[in-house]
Amino acid sequence: MARTRTTKKLAQRIDLNYFKRPTPLKRAKFWLSLLLPLLGLVWIAWRGFSGDHRVYSSGRLSRAHAVLDKECAACHVRQTGAFSARAEDNACLGCHDGPIHHASKSATPDCATCHTEHRGTINISAATNQACAECHADLKTSHPDTIYTSHISSLEDGHPEFAALRPVAGTPASDPGTIKLNHAIHMKPIRRGPNGPLVNLECGNCHRPIAVDADLTYADPKYRAAAVSYKDSEEFLPIHAETLKTPKPVSGRELMAPVKFANACAGCHSLAFDKRFDEGVPHDKPELVNAFLVRKFQQYIAAHPGEVRVQRDPNRDLTGKTLPPQVRVLTPAQWVVERTADAEELLWRKTCKQCHELTPSPKSAQRPIRAATAQGTDAQEVSAPLTELPYLAPAGITLEWMPHAKFDHDAHRGFTCVSCHPKALTSTESSDILLPGIATCKTCHAPGPGHAESRCFECHTYHDWSKRKEVTPRFTLPALRTDGR
Amino acid sequence: MRIDRSHRAWALASLAVFAISAAVYVIYAGTAPRGPRGGSAVGLIFGIVGFGFMIFAALLGARKRVATWRLGRAQAWMRGHLWLGLLALPMILFHGGFHFGGTLTRVLMWMLIITVFSGIFGAALQHYIPRLMTADVPLETIYDEIGHVRALLREEADRAVESLCGNIGLPKSSEGEVQRAGGFTALRPIAAAVVPLRTSAAVSAGASAALATAPEIILLSEEESAPLRRFYLSEMRPFLDHPKQSGQRLTDAALASVVFAGLRTLLTARAHATLTELEDICDEARQLTRQERLQRWLQGWLLVHIPLSLALILLGALHAVMALRY
Amino acid sequence: MTTATTPPGMIDVTIDGRALRVPAGTSVFDAARMNGIAIPTLCHLQNQTPVGVCRLCVVDTGARVLSASCVRPVEPGMKVSTDSEKVLNARKTLLELLMSDHPSPCARQEQSGDCELETLAKAAGILESGFQKRTVARGHDDSSLAIAVDHDACILCDRCIRGCDEVKNNFVLGRMGKGYSAGIAFDLNSSMGDSTCISCGECMVSCPTGALTNKGVVGTAIAVGPGAEGFEAEDLLKIPVFKGVSGTFLELNRGAVVKRRFRQGEIVCREGEFGSTAFYILEGKAKVSISTPIAHVRTQGGAKGLFKRLTSTLVAREDDKREEETRDRTIPIDAPVDLAYGNPVAELGPGDLFGEMTCMNFYPRSATVIAESDVIAYEMLRNVLDIMLKNKTFRAQLDETYRRRALENHLRGVPMFADLSPEFIDYLKGSVELQRFAPGQVIVQQGEAADSFYLVRIGFVKVSENYPGGELVLAYLSRGDYFGEIGLLGGGVRTATCTALDHVELVRISGDDFREMVGRFPGVRTGLEAIAAERRAANQQRMQMVDSVPIGQFLSQGLMEAQSLLILDLQNCTRCDACVNACADAHDGITRLVRDGLRFDRYLVATSCRQCRDPLCMVGCPVGAIRRRNSLEVIIEDWCIGCGLCARNCPYGNINLHPFEVMAEDPEHAGRKKAVIQQKATSCDLCTHLKEPSCVYACPHDAAHRVDPKTFFAEMLGQGSVK
Repeated sequence: MARTRTTKKLAQRIDLNYFKRPTPLKRAKFWLSLLLPLLGLVWIAWRGFSGDHRVYSSGRLSRAHAVLDKECAACHVRQTGAFSARAEDNACLGCHDGPIHHASKSATPDCATCHTEHRGTINISAATNQACAECHADLKTSHPDTIYTSHISSLEDGHPEFAALRPVAGTPASDPGTIKLNHAIHMKPIRRGPNGPLVNLECGNCHRPIAVDADLTYADPKYRAAAVSYKDSEEFLPIHAETLKTPKPVSGRELMAPVKFANACAGCHSLAFDKRFDEGVPHDKPELVNAFLVRKFQQYIAAHPGEVRVQRDPNRDLTGKTLPPQVRVLTPAQWVVERTADAEELLWRKTCKQCHELTPSPKSAQRPIRAATAQGTDAQEVSAPLTELPYLAPAGITLEWMPHAKFDHDAHRGFTCVSCHPKALTSTESSDILLPGIATCKTCHAPGPGHAESRCFECHTYHDWSKRKEVTPRFTLPALRTDGR
Repeated sequence: MRIDRSHRAWALASLAVFAISAAVYVIYAGTAPRGPRGGSAVGLIFGIVGFGFMIFAALLGARKRVATWRLGRAQAWMRGHLWLGLLALPMILFHGGFHFGGTLTRVLMWMLIITVFSGIFGAALQHYIPRLMTADVPLETIYDEIGHVRALLREEADRAVESLCGNIGLPKSSEGEVQRAGGFTALRPIAAAVVPLRTSAAVSAGASAALATAPEIILLSEEESAPLRRFYLSEMRPFLDHPKQSGQRLTDAALASVVFAGLRTLLTARAHATLTELEDICDEARQLTRQERLQRWLQGWLLVHIPLSLALILLGALHAVMALRY
Repeated sequence: MTTATTPPGMIDVTIDGRALRVPAGTSVFDAARMNGIAIPTLCHLQNQTPVGVCRLCVVDTGARVLSASCVRPVEPGMKVSTDSEKVLNARKTLLELLMSDHPSPCARQEQSGDCELETLAKAAGILESGFQKRTVARGHDDSSLAIAVDHDACILCDRCIRGCDEVKNNFVLGRMGKGYSAGIAFDLNSSMGDSTCISCGECMVSCPTGALTNKGVVGTAIAVGPGAEGFEAEDLLKIPVFKGVSGTFLELNRGAVVKRRFRQGEIVCREGEFGSTAFYILEGKAKVSISTPIAHVRTQGGAKGLFKRLTSTLVAREDDKREEETRDRTIPIDAPVDLAYGNPVAELGPGDLFGEMTCMNFYPRSATVIAESDVIAYEMLRNVLDIMLKNKTFRAQLDETYRRRALENHLRGVPMFADLSPEFIDYLKGSVELQRFAPGQVIVQQGEAADSFYLVRIGFVKVSENYPGGELVLAYLSRGDYFGEIGLLGGGVRTATCTALDHVELVRISGDDFREMVGRFPGVRTGLEAIAAERRAANQQRMQMVDSVPIGQFLSQGLMEAQSLLILDLQNCTRCDACVNACADAHDGITRLVRDGLRFDRYLVATSCRQCRDPLCMVGCPVGAIRRRNSLEVIIEDWCIGCGLCARNCPYGNINLHPFEVMAEDPEHAGRKKAVIQQKATSCDLCTHLKEPSCVYACPHDAAHRVDPKTFFAEMLGQGSVK
């Protein structure tokens, strides 16, 4: 009998309740579906019971906070009665002070806006450009005509030229310093002193960071005692309170110390005033120079009384000028006055004027000269017509060209000075600002790998550290090493 | 399931959603002050949307349990499951900003990846294997009943051999099992007696017995039937009982036809009809084995997909709560 | 020993040592019985002629062999021993032999515990027969409505044959076969339901074993309430139409008929309703009519505006002529009269039976019946109608009514007979034959000689043609249609096979009468030839379409019969069982579909109700529990008795029986309830209580579809749809 297939025969093989019966597949599905979530729950519960909440962490902690890895509660402070345990600002402020940025800013972002934790072992203080651009991309200020650029997104997008180099009201920026200096000449081989050898100056012969041994090649220690127009305390930079600088420890190698006469100039520029003396006048205010001169000449004439007989110097006979008598006998006081005047004339008209701006000014002090006798004690007032002392403008040396940014020469010590300051080789005017423009920085500081860091925080800081407050420490060593509070 | 043109609407919609969310993500990632993170507003939206997709996908199992409730066609739910489930992966990647995060989130991310990829794998299987099964297994039956059908095949073979060789000591099945594999019923009393509950279909079949004509009985002599008996008892019956045991000649179709050809030469022509029957029975048994294997592939991947997805949802919910807490 | 003292006509015998005197001619059995000695018998019944076939009543009369006491008359001086060891051994051996073939416990033993054979065997201490059981079964016969035949339990005692012949004079039963394959047979070895058996129940009542048992009819079928009263069996026996039916049998079926009273104006039944009962009017008059507008639907386009939907209206024939309609047609209804087209009203009176089609074949009511006066009628279910129709008296009455009232209208209803003269009609009325056919019976066979012309009075006839690939159904004919003319007009050979699909009644006009009619009325011939030509052309077209390959498979799987298939696209289906689970969910946990079956192309035709055009499942339900709604789905009512006939009939196995545990009366302990297994049939109902079949709704892969096979597979099967 052949096997035949009909629908009925086929259907009747089937138990009509087959789909209700358990099968290995259904059983396996059921048990696995029960087991796996249970496993997950058990894992979480185990973690929960051992108090270890690190499983909920959304990433490794930054290097700075790595020690707090187990101390979730250090930042995630659980509000009493509430479920939430967000890391709020007051947790951060427990250890850190984050002084505000600017008094008149519109909104204060919370710490976490810029300092994102749980992003792996990164530098947490490295805020993203967007964080800064939140406000600075479209800056709203209370002053309508602010000097600050109002659309800065990043170094490469909207960052203006350095303020020092920006033209002010149409006129190009210029160095406000009053010391006359021609860098170009100094960079060529020049003579040391009026009759000295040829020397080839290097940048480092005059410019050094303050921490570096200031025993410059052409320094003359004798002048170190001179007064300067800035406070001594400001030598250690950065100091300006109103600047927004990172509070990192200062190495003293960041910026170049202001160039002092004693350290840089004295080696070549002598302040000789008279053939009779080897030394030069002190590099100081005119009054002091005058006093020095008088004293010096008085001492001299007391030691060489025969010099009161002044012979006419035939070299100085000038046609058209009334000749003085062949020999004049002066009183010591007169002789001092005469010599002083001669020296001052040299100085005021040539020597000092070479670098300084001297203006005859009614402000110059007129002091009577106390002439010292041969005996040396009695000072007699000699009233003599005094030459007016000139007025010296303050040097006005800019100590810090970029008050709103941090620049560290030490980080760039590998580079030759002229690679960033090429203008020094060609600058002939004192008014030239030899600060490199932002384009120079951007050569290396650009986004992406293969470039130096170009994010905002590299040079700028958000917090106004002048308003820094001290925090009360609260962690104890044992507390950190146990399972948190 | 065939992923064919009828999926076009869903596929295009999903592509559109993906494109839009990718655009949103790119803009958001570029401008966010802290970079793309789960906790930002956009990140949270991505997370909620992604989790919503996952929950909808998981609800497919629940939907199948109440199949008759009018909550939307099963087809729509299936397609939603496929496409929205697929979209859940990019959504969650956008949510986390492509960061895998800490322990829990890392585990979750990997679970999601494995779930989605196992789903894609399973969808591919379910796309191809039905066609394969349709072509390869013409004598397909219901997978869960293969054991029973095999038993019926063996019964049928027993009866066929017995009809040739007479009683050779093969066990007769109990009353409830008397049913030929082809569905012929043995004659049973009509009375509403206790009916074995197993095959209620058999009862309706039993009630059908018309006057069955007695089959023509061909009995071979002891000597004539010896090869068949030998073959049947030593090879075919064990094969029908344990078709998957290795080393059996009948497992291979070509070998089996050789075996049967050999048997045909050994037995008289009167037995050939029965031999053909036996050969067909072997073929059906082989097809059932093939069906089993294919079916296991067709549905085995669910053992990875489903438990993982449930664990994923559970831990995902936990993550949502905890992440918002912290 | 007859002594002198013995009176004439009496005989002296000794039985078991007792001297007895009995009239001459008494059998030994009766002699013993009259004197208190019981001899066990199996084939002997008091009201039947003894035949002595079972040999259980053998006694030792001192002869060479033991004698059967039921046929052996007493002889003078006989010494009979009824309990000697020889006799007892013989009985024991006999019982053992009989028990060896007996399917113990047989149906009767289970139902009522009184199988005579088993009782005797138990009394003789035989629990297990030592003889080998038979290996070949003799079969069951479930075709009768009320009696189940189990040939295995039959001991060929002849009681049923004698009961049918001698007691009831129906002469349906006889013997067939020889030796081991001998058995009882109905008519010429038809199955019981197809034979001329009238289900009187006499054979069943006579049978000593479970060979003929009652198919349990449980519960009342027609609700008894106001306006309807039930019957007691005695009342039923008084009704002439139930004459000759076995009382026991009526007792079992009494719930299936009620007497109804309708007041004037009350509606008896409405057209279009589905029902399962027939009515037989005893008294009063009723009006039968069709109240639906005699109009068809015409669709008109809404010209104004893009979004105006097409509106449909009903229009009468005058307003919208359609080609295929012919004039003056009568509307055939399920009653002894047909309704005229122009005025569809008629009258029914006492003796009229209407609703036959509804009752027998579960078609909807064909017309509305309203009581014109007070009406008393019987409303009955199928099993009772079946009995009535098999009753010869009743049948004759029905036929006469039909000839008198309906035949003429029916004949005239055939368009080409419209021209026949009244005398010819009268002649035909007397000469036509009314024939009944059972479902599946072949009326005419393709290729045989044509000798009659048929009109269909009731039921459906399938016209099919055989071709090399199988059988192609050409048409289904129903009431008012006719067939047979092609054979008669053509070469005299039948060109197609006509089979009765359900209970069919045909009006047969003999070939001679037909030829005379055609000769005398040429108009008839022209009309017939035109129709015949049309039919031939249509058949040709259909046969052409048969050539494309899959139709063979399409037909062989019975897909043509289906109006709705559940197909599973195997290339989409992931074998996930969602459809099965959904079906079970929607149906109390019992699935109505099985995901196995034959394939057609790449589709699996699932085993689920196909809403066949001819619902074979509905044929034969004894309690009329299975019926069809307008939306085509099959409904199985609460009172399904779980007989499994519908399941057997469904050729695709779409109906299944499910066992349920119910509490029923415990037969062994009165007043207590026992859990028994009751079975109920279930089938797919297209989920009409939901908007969409649950299986289709729940399939996640667009693999499950409920489709009309002809439109769905139209492309595959050739151009257009297969009609």
